[in-house]
Amino acid sequence: MHVFQIRYRNTQGTLMRILTAASRRGIDLPYVQAEPLEHTHKVTLLLEVNPKQVGQLCRDWHAVVDVIDVRAGRQLKEAFDHGAAWKVARHPVTSVPVQASRQASA
Amino acid sequence: MLKGAQIVLRCLRAEGVDLVFGYPGGAIMPLYDALEDSGVRHVLTRHEQGAVFAAEGYARSTGKVGVAIATSGPGATNLVTGIADAKMDSVPLVCITGQVRTPLIGTDAFQETDVFGLTLSLTKWSRLVRTGEEIPEVIAQAFYWARSGRPGPVMIDIPVDLLKASTEFSGPTEFQPHLKPAAVATDSTFCDTAIALLQQAKKPVALVGAGVKLSGAVADLRRVLDHLQVPTFATVHGLGAVSPERPYYLGMVGMHGTRAANLALNETDLLLVFGARLDDRVTGEPTRFAPHARIVHFEIDPGQLDRVRPCELSVIGDLAHTIPTFYEALTRVSLTDWSAWRAIASGPDRAEPDSRGLAQPTIRFIDELFHQLPADSTLVVDVGQHQMWAAQRYRSSSARSFITSGGLGAMGFALPAAIGVQLANPDKTVVSISGDGGFQMNIQELATVKRLGLPIKMVVVDNKYLGMVRQWQELFYQRNYAETDMSDNPNFVAIAYAYGINGQRLRADSVSGFEIPAETSEQIEKFLASPHPELLVFECPPEANVYPMVAPGAALSEMLFEEE
Repeated sequence: MHVFQIRYRNTQGTLMRILTAASRRGIDLPYVQAEPLEHTHKVTLLLEVNPKQVGQLCRDWHAVVDVIDVRAGRQLKEAFDHGAAWKVARHPVTSVPVQASRQASA
Repeated sequence: MLKGAQIVLRCLRAEGVDLVFGYPGGAIMPLYDALEDSGVRHVLTRHEQGAVFAAEGYARSTGKVGVAIATSGPGATNLVTGIADAKMDSVPLVCITGQVRTPLIGTDAFQETDVFGLTLSLTKWSRLVRTGEEIPEVIAQAFYWARSGRPGPVMIDIPVDLLKASTEFSGPTEFQPHLKPAAVATDSTFCDTAIALLQQAKKPVALVGAGVKLSGAVADLRRVLDHLQVPTFATVHGLGAVSPERPYYLGMVGMHGTRAANLALNETDLLLVFGARLDDRVTGEPTRFAPHARIVHFEIDPGQLDRVRPCELSVIGDLAHTIPTFYEALTRVSLTDWSAWRAIASGPDRAEPDSRGLAQPTIRFIDELFHQLPADSTLVVDVGQHQMWAAQRYRSSSARSFITSGGLGAMGFALPAAIGVQLANPDKTVVSISGDGGFQMNIQELATVKRLGLPIKMVVVDNKYLGMVRQWQELFYQRNYAETDMSDNPNFVAIAYAYGINGQRLRADSVSGFEIPAETSEQIEKFLASPHPELLVFECPPEANVYPMVAPGAALSEMLFEEE
């Protein structure tokens, strides 16, 4: 696993462009966290990639218009721990009957 | 106060746009309503893909930004192939689409598609406009990003209610980009390393790609090459950047490249790459690409570096700056004499064998056509066998005169792109060359050609097959010609006539021995001399193949040649 931290301006589509650089290569996204960072934003990704893909991804991300900075490193324990916590979190139900939905939102 | 549509057009004018290509529809109607007296000429194509390819042709031949306009939904999705094409071939392109009314976005309204999402991975930058006030800034940004760095496509999606609504407008704005930390070669420090590598090299070569043309660095590169005198070859988009008369020039490299170029690339110990992506059509099997070489890569887009394998030296930056800097440094050192290597690389044993097979008539026809072309002509070539024959036989040193869909390989490109080229160059001879398959993909644009009276010379090389696919079926799929037969092609001359365009036909098989018809030269002369649009259908042997060919998965040195 590699950790990537990408700082970007949160303009339309920038985060999606960052993510599609991975998904277009068939790379799973087991951990993604995007958050504000001072006047910009930061997304942290944990990806299973080979060294060649690390280079390709970093270059692709650098080429995205509103990406400011890209950092890549070996897996960080705290990032992994954070990711593990997300893994056990329950996902919301994607499709529920209208009645249940109304009850939930009431 | 101006309507959003008027603001869009004012901002386009401010960016220097006087010609756009498009096709109207519900969500973009306010923009069309405002066209009159806007100073922007609109060319109506007969399909949105025709519009985006025409905009590409305009951009590729001028270096300016091409603009294509379409409505929401199917209009927008019909632009997608052109957007992908522009991304692959680094064409500056701004696409403007109408979108359903703001309150309806996300409701699957009539003709609603998420074109912003659809094109995220194809565009350099895109924006769904949310207020009328942001239109000037959005358009300024769009043009900035389309032109800057490695040029490419951008997308602006504007809800129809914003095009209709009146908004305060104080004039076009100028976009000031946030600059990233410079990763570019802004000084000459790279030169020392590059020269050291050159001085160690025994068999250096140079590979020239489209980036040299896009950067306007052709003249600078020619100085470098004349100084180095190393064996040099070009990608399909690099053709014309190097004069074919130069003794060190070996022609096109890659899957259908020349024997000399591919062998030199296989043997070199130092590969200088100038503005090329090194895609698989150029490299052959990537793991066996230039196996003995260290690579020095001059490139504006960092995303293109180290894709095949790590470079020894990456020179990131605009080639218009890095190549002259390199030249200055080269003139201050003495270089090795590589004349012996040059003699080997361009030796007579590496010359192209004359075609002895079914391809002969087509090659002779193309040679005759090229022989008669005025020097400042522009060729717009579609995708397939004719594309590779044309690229192999092309002998011009004009930088923007060979236009084709190289990276995406989009059939149907040539005819609409030629419309854009001819409009940008009204006094030049523009020749489109298509296969019978590709011609039918955008054949409706004959109506555009006729309406505008464009004197485009349209050649259809008709072998009644999807020729390149059939060639692969013959060579790699045991001659299983699955769904590539087009023997029931329509009468193209009659179709041209129906559109009001004159057409004529030449048949290669009308004479034995694969000779081209005796009247070919005269017919081509009349064809090119006509002041009107003309169609020339060249019916050639159906089972001709393009050689040399590097099979998929093979190294460049493992070329297939025609059996004698």
